[in-house]
Amino acid sequence: MTVSLKNLRKTFADGTDAVKSIDLDIEQGEFITLLGPSGCGKTTTLRLIAGLEEPTSGEIYINGRQVNDVDPGDRDIAMVFQSYALYPHMTALQNMTLNLTVSGLSKEEANKKALETARTLGLEELLDKKPGKLSGGQRQRVALGRAMVRDPVCYLMDEPLSNLDLKLRELMRTELKRIHKKDKVTTVYVTHDQAEALILSDRVTVMKDGEIQQIGDPVEIYGNPANEFVAEFIGSPSINLIKADVVDNGIAIEGNLVSNRNFPTANGGVNLGVRPEDVILSVTESGGLKGKIEFTEPQGGVVHAFVNLDLSEKKLKNRDYLVVSMDVHESIDVGTTVGVKFREERINYFDCGTGRSLAETT
Amino acid sequence: MRSTMYSRMLFGLAIVLVFIWLVPVMWVVLTSVKPTNIINSAVPIFFDFAPTLDHYVEVFERFRFGRSMLNSFVTVGVSTLIVMIIALPAAYAVARMNLMHGDTWALVILSLRFMPGMVIVLPYFKIATFLNLIDTQIVLIVVYVAFGLPFAVWILRGFLLDLPKDIEEAGRLDGLSWIQIIFRLIMPMAAPGIAVTAIFTFVFSWNEFLFALFLTLDKGSTMPVALQKTIDLYNVLWGSLSAGAVLQLLPMILVVFLLQKHIARGLALGAVK
Ligand SMILES: Nc1ncnc2c1ncn2[C@@H]1O[C@H](COP(=O)(O)OP(=O)(O)O)[C@@H](O)[C@H]1O
Ligand SMILES: [Mg+2]
Repeated sequence: MTVSLKNLRKTFADGTDAVKSIDLDIEQGEFITLLGPSGCGKTTTLRLIAGLEEPTSGEIYINGRQVNDVDPGDRDIAMVFQSYALYPHMTALQNMTLNLTVSGLSKEEANKKALETARTLGLEELLDKKPGKLSGGQRQRVALGRAMVRDPVCYLMDEPLSNLDLKLRELMRTELKRIHKKDKVTTVYVTHDQAEALILSDRVTVMKDGEIQQIGDPVEIYGNPANEFVAEFIGSPSINLIKADVVDNGIAIEGNLVSNRNFPTANGGVNLGVRPEDVILSVTESGGLKGKIEFTEPQGGVVHAFVNLDLSEKKLKNRDYLVVSMDVHESIDVGTTVGVKFREERINYFDCGTGRSLAETT
Repeated sequence: MRSTMYSRMLFGLAIVLVFIWLVPVMWVVLTSVKPTNIINSAVPIFFDFAPTLDHYVEVFERFRFGRSMLNSFVTVGVSTLIVMIIALPAAYAVARMNLMHGDTWALVILSLRFMPGMVIVLPYFKIATFLNLIDTQIVLIVVYVAFGLPFAVWILRGFLLDLPKDIEEAGRLDGLSWIQIIFRLIMPMAAPGIAVTAIFTFVFSWNEFLFALFLTLDKGSTMPVALQKTIDLYNVLWGSLSAGAVLQLLPMILVVFLLQKHIARGLALGAVK
């Protein structure tokens, strides 16, 4: 275990409960993301690990050592800040070597190490420039280099790509993945971008209101969300949540059977979570659930169809249309009335009252 | 159209201001090099004279300006240095360390500056007499530190608040101690602010008259006090007075000239807030 958080809490002086009881074990060499909407306590968690905030209660272990009272500089971690936080009066090289020289390395050795790191990041040409003379992407690399050159036990990264434009972000994302594959340094990565989390992570930790909602690998988080919040937060366009009734022989939406599963505990009804790609539309279907394609959003390879379900009352949560992904080559015209079916094995079931997944109950 | 009107008005205003500010300076500079008989001539003569350095010689010989100049440099220089050494960590503490009611305290301390000098100069005089420190450089240094410090802390605090916090945090993660953070990160980043603060502190003490007048007489006197001695009950020695005034002005011009880049940046930084 590289980093362990035990019942970690942080209540700020003004009473804000930023982190409420977090337990998290991070494996050696793992790339783990803290994912969640703005204000859910990701940065605070990261700063607690770094030692920039003091926990209200709970323990932090790094490499088996309890570090609650250890200075940030002695925790053997390196952080990449959202703003990069480069030292503006130092050159890129000095930015990268400060830690090394402070911890006793000679200037020559420090420069040599920095040069090696700079080479892997393509920074050699920029080493004698100050941050003010660098572009956003270059600053990002220097910030990354400053963390890498230290050979820390763990990288902490707080939305490191959020200040880059889309193209550069994708480029750096790949770069991060490549570096992690090569060096296998444990990385705790904070982001509010679910796509980024899914692409980069070995494991994703989904947070909300200072609490962990689910921890799992990207496939698990996407395929088997623990509750409606995780289901809706992951995936774009987001999952369809449809209110359905538990009937004798399965689950039905206004009498149209959509699944044979049975949930005796869910007496308040269930919400079905259906990903847009798990809806099958057909022009020929006669019986069952029906709807009309009101409009579409072409996205290149896929087209998103917005289907107005033919129901007597609104069953969809948080939206008016059922969102469906269609292959561009098999897309159906706007205005068509279609039969609607769900891939039964991919449906997620949530308790209507608590929003929790019912997957465990059968 | 509007903008030319506007810029013309600004230009006019600038001329008026320059007039108000610079004409007295020019008058003093000219007077300092005019022969006494021209200064005292019934009809004012502005430019038509043979310049002389007599008055400068006189202030040094008769009014011992050399000693006063040295006193000024020592008391003001040393007190400014002490102020800056104390003010930087103090301002850092007020700006960063979540002190209990830190801002309130900063304001309370600053408000000490609002006190009329007359209120405290007499007790100071008594104390200084008691301690046998009257007419020494030490007494003025102590007073100038006491008076310069609150103000310096206040301005520096503003500059430090403008510095991004996460750079210091990056420094902590890189293993810097508090002292190293101040010396290796804060000081270089806040250099313009530090320069501006030091200049203000220096200038206030440099021009200070009241305390210097009460607390020094002769061998500890600074330039403003020495200058005042060119005026006695019966006479104003305009030439010497002007020469002394010019000598007092010169270092200020020099300082501002040397540091103008920093000052401009520092003032701009302060203004952005
Ligand atoms: N220094 C602080 N003092 C008081 N509240 C804070 C402080 N820092 C963060 N918070 C609050 O704590 C909550 C979590 O913040 P943060 O960890 O920054 O969230 P995230 O990084 O997930 O957006 C927010 O409500 C935020 O306003
Ligand atoms: Mg954040």
